[in-house]
Amino acid sequence: MFDVALAEAGAQVPIATSSDENFPPENIIDGKSETFWATTGLFPQEFIITFTALMSLEQIKINCYQVKGLAMERSIENEPVNFEPMCEKELCPSDASLQMEEFSGENSSAKHLKFVIKSGYDHFVSVHKVCVNGMASRE
Amino acid sequence: MPVTLRAKCLIVGDSAVGKSALTQVFHSDGAHFPKGYSMTVGVELCVKNISIPDTNDTVELYIYDTAGKETYSDYAQQAWEHPSVMMVVMDVTNENSFMACNRWVERVKAKAGQHIPGVFVANKTDLEGRRVVERNKAEEFAKGKGLEYFECSAKEQNNTDAPFYYLANAYYKLYQERVEVMKTIAS
Repeated sequence: MFDVALAEAGAQVPIATSSDENFPPENIIDGKSETFWATTGLFPQEFIITFTALMSLEQIKINCYQVKGLAMERSIENEPVNFEPMCEKELCPSDASLQMEEFSGENSSAKHLKFVIKSGYDHFVSVHKVCVNGMASRE
Repeated sequence: MPVTLRAKCLIVGDSAVGKSALTQVFHSDGAHFPKGYSMTVGVELCVKNISIPDTNDTVELYIYDTAGKETYSDYAQQAWEHPSVMMVVMDVTNENSFMACNRWVERVKAKAGQHIPGVFVANKTDLEGRRVVERNKAEEFAKGKGLEYFECSAKEQNNTDAPFYYLANAYYKLYQERVEVMKTIAS
């Protein structure tokens, strides 16, 4: 079991709905919480993490700031299509530190994970790190 | 690569103060002032890119021109959700439209649930002879509400761009401030 959502492990962010080159979506999967992806206004905001192969997901951790409504969807297709809802949560506000949330992956399988930020506590939010504990699926 | 920010600009105020005229004059770069009056039902949306001076960045303003008549405002509740910036408009020849502004501002603030940049626009300054709302009173109101004050005439296309540019720049500044906070929080 290791973090399969790392760029080092071959993960990618093929799609994100905001792009400021100073705060690119790749910052989400660089393993550091100091760097981040910033959204540039309005909701919803989305990004997709694509793994190297179909993964069995144990746990998903996200470090972010000012995020309110957050939903996750998974896809088992080769291309990032046909997403199915996994879970949805309203995060607590956290003014002076990053929000840290954990979700159980329930050992479901996914090639792609889509994160949908439905609302925020501010006009702009940031996602600093996503860590997905999993392993190549036997299916 | 330049950054494009997106902002939802809610335009509110009593009916017939010139919200649609301001929006259309700005959106068409002055090419179109609606001569006849046509009441807005629900909400009309138009989008315009505004360049931020001394940068390559832009703010994409999603301008929601809302209905001033209460009858229609329930209709368009969804359009009111999560505004980024607001423009409150009154007609300088109509005292009631000025009196109503407090209610409009509070309504948008309640919807926003957080600080949003705003402007207070006194329209129809071309009708100088019929003017009943004095400048200092309007300015005082704007100041009390934390709004930047502008006078303009959509008909003469005088100063109509300024409030929109102000909002785009204020929103841009807000973004700059917020990413600084994000950097600090993360370090």
